[in-house]
Amino acid sequence: MSLDTASSGSKPPVLSRSNLSYHVYRLVNQPEKILGLLCLAVLSVLVLGPLFEIIHDALVYQSYDLAYRPEAKVGSFTLFHLERVFTGPLSKALFLKPLFNSVAVGVCVTVLGVGIGSGLAWLMVRTNIRFKGVFGALAVVPYMMPSWVLALAWLSLFKNDRIGGNEGMITSFFGVQPPDWVSYGFFPIVICLALHYYAYGFLLMSGALATVDSELEEAGAIAGMNRRQRLWRITFPLLLPALGSAVVLTFIRILGTFGTPALLGLPVRFFTFSTQIYASLNARNSGDAFVLALVLIVMAITFIWINSRVIGIRKSFVTLTGKGFRQREIKLGAWQWPATIAVAAFLVVTVLLPMLILLWESLVITPGEYSLKGLTAHFWIGKSDIDIANGEPGIWHSPGILTALWNTIKLGVLAAVCNGMLGLLVGYAAVRGRGTLLARWLEGVAFAPYIFPSIALGAIYIGMFSTPWGPLPALYGTFTILVLITVVKNLPFTSRTGIAAILQIDKSLEETARVQGIGWFRRMAKIIIPMSSSGVTAGMLLTFITATRELSLIILLLSPANMVLTGVIFSYNEHDMTQHSGAVTLFLVMIIVGANVLVRMLTGGGGLAGLRHT
Amino acid sequence: MKQIITRLSAVLMAALFALSFVTAASAASKPPPEMEAWLKAAKLGPYDKDENWDEITAKAKAEGEVVVYTSSGRIAKLVKPFAKIHPEIKVTVHDLGSVKSVEKTIREQNANIFNADIVTTGNSGQVIYEMLNKNRLVNYVPHHYKDRIPKENRDPLLIRVNEAMVFLYNREAYPDAPPIKNVWELTEPKFKGRVGMKNPLSSGSTLMGVMTLMQRPDEMAAAYQRHAGKPIKLSKGVADAGQEFWARLLANDLVIFKSGSKLARASGKKGQKNPLIAFANMTYIARNDSKGYANKILAKVDPVGKLVYPTFSAIARQAPHPNAAKLFTAYLLGSLELNKDSKLAKPYDKGASMTLLQGLAPYFDPGTVSPRSDVPLPAGGEIWDEMTGWTVDAGYMWKQGPKVRDFWTVHSSK
Repeated sequence: MSLDTASSGSKPPVLSRSNLSYHVYRLVNQPEKILGLLCLAVLSVLVLGPLFEIIHDALVYQSYDLAYRPEAKVGSFTLFHLERVFTGPLSKALFLKPLFNSVAVGVCVTVLGVGIGSGLAWLMVRTNIRFKGVFGALAVVPYMMPSWVLALAWLSLFKNDRIGGNEGMITSFFGVQPPDWVSYGFFPIVICLALHYYAYGFLLMSGALATVDSELEEAGAIAGMNRRQRLWRITFPLLLPALGSAVVLTFIRILGTFGTPALLGLPVRFFTFSTQIYASLNARNSGDAFVLALVLIVMAITFIWINSRVIGIRKSFVTLTGKGFRQREIKLGAWQWPATIAVAAFLVVTVLLPMLILLWESLVITPGEYSLKGLTAHFWIGKSDIDIANGEPGIWHSPGILTALWNTIKLGVLAAVCNGMLGLLVGYAAVRGRGTLLARWLEGVAFAPYIFPSIALGAIYIGMFSTPWGPLPALYGTFTILVLITVVKNLPFTSRTGIAAILQIDKSLEETARVQGIGWFRRMAKIIIPMSSSGVTAGMLLTFITATRELSLIILLLSPANMVLTGVIFSYNEHDMTQHSGAVTLFLVMIIVGANVLVRMLTGGGGLAGLRHT
Repeated sequence: MKQIITRLSAVLMAALFALSFVTAASAASKPPPEMEAWLKAAKLGPYDKDENWDEITAKAKAEGEVVVYTSSGRIAKLVKPFAKIHPEIKVTVHDLGSVKSVEKTIREQNANIFNADIVTTGNSGQVIYEMLNKNRLVNYVPHHYKDRIPKENRDPLLIRVNEAMVFLYNREAYPDAPPIKNVWELTEPKFKGRVGMKNPLSSGSTLMGVMTLMQRPDEMAAAYQRHAGKPIKLSKGVADAGQEFWARLLANDLVIFKSGSKLARASGKKGQKNPLIAFANMTYIARNDSKGYANKILAKVDPVGKLVYPTFSAIARQAPHPNAAKLFTAYLLGSLELNKDSKLAKPYDKGASMTLLQGLAPYFDPGTVSPRSDVPLPAGGEIWDEMTGWTVDAGYMWKQGPKVRDFWTVHSSK
C-alpha cells in the first residue's frame, strides 16, 4: 500500500537524492508513521492471515465434501459451501434459524445489558448513592468470571427433570419443576449473558459520565436551558459515542459467544450461530463453519460501519486538558436509600449468589443433595479416596492443577504485558497520525480480531501455526500459541484503551516538549507513558482477566502440556464432576479478583474502572 | 471505515484466487520415502517380521516415553500401573475424545509434526479411510498375541476393545418389566421428551450407533410392522425406515446431552420420578458400582439392543517411540498369563486382577469386550453375548457420515 506522503508545492525529481533525504527527514520527524508501519505489518500477518484462511477454506472443497461430490478435488475452488449454507435444504437448520436465534439473543442482551450497565453507571458516577467503593468493585466482578459460570449456576438452581439426574436447587427445596422455558433456551441465555456483559455498558458509560464536566451543564443552565434540554443537548451528545461503542461491543460479542448458549441451549435444541460453527468444526467440516463465521464477520463489520456513520464523527472529544474540571453530584434525596438497596440486591444476585451456589456445589458429598449434613471439604483438600468420585483427589492434590494454575497466571501476565505495550504503540500511531490512511488502516486492523468468532479464530490458528511460518517455528501445542492468540484477540480492547488514553493527551503538551528539542523516546517516557498509564494499566488488567478466564478461544489449542484452569474446569464438567468444577471455578475467580484488588492497591484506585475512557 | 472495507475486500479477493490453487491433498497409498525409512527402522508394516520381544523391550526402555492420543479418559488410569512394570518408560496420555484424537493427529502430521506414538480411538470411517488408508497409522499386533485374537479383530486394524451403544433405563422406575419391547415405542407420545442421548455431531460413538441402526432400513421397517401392525409411512424428505426412526425420535422431543457422564446419571440416578431412557455407551453400566446408579440395559428389544463399535489402537506414522509403542500396545491387550480360567475379582484395577488384566482392567465391565478370545467375562458380562447386536460398517460410516450429519442437523432443528 502507499502512504499518502505526496507533498505539495514544488517537487524535486522523484528519485533525486534531495527528494529521498527529504522523505527520510520527514519520516524521522513522524515517529508515529514508522511505528504505524511496523505495527501494521505485524498485525496484518496475525489478523489478516486468519481472515484469508477463513475465506479460503470457505471457498474450496474439503475432504468432508467428497460424500456429496465424489469427483471433486480437495482444495479446488467451489461455491459448494455457500450453496449449502444459503440455498440448500440445510439452509434453514444451519443458517436461518441459528441466525434468527443469535440476532434475537444479541438484541435482547444488548438492550438489557447496556440498559443495566448505563443505569448503574449513572447511579455510581453522578449521584450520591451510598457505598460507591464497594459497589464499584463488585459491579465488575461478573465480568471477571468466565461467562458460562452464570450458566452453570443457573442450571444448578433451575434445572428441571428434562435432563434428569440431580434435582436443581429449586426443585430440591420447593418440590416444583421449573418449566422448560425457564430452565433452558432463549430466556436463561439472555439473562445470563446480560448479567455478564452489562460490564461493557457499565465501564464505558461510567467513563463517559465521569468526563462530562458539570460546568458544561451549568453553562447550559445559565443559557436558560431546562433540565430536559440540558440532558438532551449537552449530556446525551457527550455520552453518545460511549453508548454507541457499548451497544456495538456487546452485540458483536454476543453473536460470537459460545459457552452459555451451548450449556443452556442444547437441552431444548436451541442453536445459535456460534454453536453451529462449533458443531461444523467438530465434524471437520470447516467449509460450512467458515461460511457461517464469515456471515458473523460481515454482520459485525456492517454494525461497526453503521455505528461509525451515525456517531463516529463526534468520537474524539478532548475532555482532559490542562484546564479545570468539576463534577457535581446529583442528590437523590428520598431515593438515596431505595436506590442503594436496589443496587445492593442486584449485586448480591449477580455476584454473590452464583459464587455461593458454586461453593455449595463444591462442598456437597453427593451432587444434587443440598443438605447441610452432607457437606465436605474433600473436593478441595481431600486426598484420593476410592469411595468418593472414583478416587479423584480434591483439587488441591490433583496433579495437573499446579501446572494449570501456573500456566494460567503466566498466560495472563504475558498477554497483559504484550497487549499493554502493543496497545500503547498502536494508540500513539493511530492518534498522532489521525486522518491519514495509515492510521485508519491501523485502527481497522487492530480492531478486526473483535469480529472473529473466538472458536473460529482458534481453529484457524491451529492451521496457520502448525507449520513453521517465516521466522516462526511450528507453534502447534505450545504455550506460545496461547499467548499469541490471546494477545491478538484482546488487541481490539487494548488498542482502544491505547487510543483513548493518547486521545486525552492534548497534542500541545507533546508539542511543547518538541519545541524544546526533546526526542521521541524521552517524550514517550516522560509525557505519554505517565499520562496514559491509568488507561493502559486498565487495558492490561482487562487483558489479564479475559486471558485467564478464556475458554472458547483456546479450547482447540490446549494440550496437557499447556493446560490452563479453564480447560481443567471444562474437563471436570465434561466428566460430570460438579464438585471439582465448582471448586476450580471459584479458585479461578478468586485469582482474578485478587489480581484486580492487587492492581488497585498498587496503582492507587483505578483498576478496571480505569477503563472508563475506552 | 468504508474505505477500509472496500480495500480489504479488494486485497482479499486477490489473495483468495492465489490461495485456492495452492492446496491439494494427495491420497497416496504407497508410503512416502521418509515414512518408508521409519517403517524399516522401527520394523513395522512390511518390515514387521520375526519379532524379538527382548530387543523391543530394551529399545523401548532406551526410548523412555510413549505418547498416547486417545478417545478414552480411562487410559490415564494405566499410567501408574505401567510405570510399576516399566519405570524407565513414561506414558503421556492426551485424553482428546474421538473427534479430536483424529483431528489432532491429522493436523500434526500434515504439518510434519510427529508427536503421537499410539492413537487409540473409535470413529470407524475416519480411522480406516482417512488415517489407516492414507498412511497416517500403521497396524501393529504383537506377534505373540496373534493367535489369541480372531482375524476380524486385528485386520485391517487392531481393535483394542469392542463396545456398544445400548438403551439404558432406570430399574427403579420400571421394576417389573423393561419400559419397551420395540424401539419404535420410543417415538410415541408416552416417551415425548423422555429419551436422551449424546449429540452425534460431537460424539463419535453416538454417531456410530445412530448410523448402525440406519444401515439396516429393511429390518427397521419390519420391526415397525411387528410393532404397529401396519407398514411404515415415511415422512417427507426421509429416505427409509432407518432414517424415519431417528426423525421421529427427534420430533418426539429427544433431549440432547453434551456429556456421556451426565447422560448416564440422567437415566440412572436413583430416586427420580420420571427418568429418561438413555441411548448411551453400554460401558456406563459400570457406574452402577462406582456411582450407585440404577441403570439397566435394555437387553431384549426388537429389532436390536446392541450396536457394536470398535475402538482401534494403532501406531502413528513416524512415531518417535515405536518400540515403546509396541510395548504399550501389548500392555493394552492384557497379560499373556490371562486366560479363560483366570480368577478375577473386583476391584479389577487392584492386586492380582490388575497384574493379569493390565491395560484391560479399566475396561473390564459388561459393556466392553476384549478383542482376545481367551479372556474371561467380567461380573455380569454374560449379557453381551445374550443380546442381539449389529456392528458398525466403516465403509458406510465413511461414505454416508457427512450426509447423516446433515440429516441430523436438519431434523434436530426445531
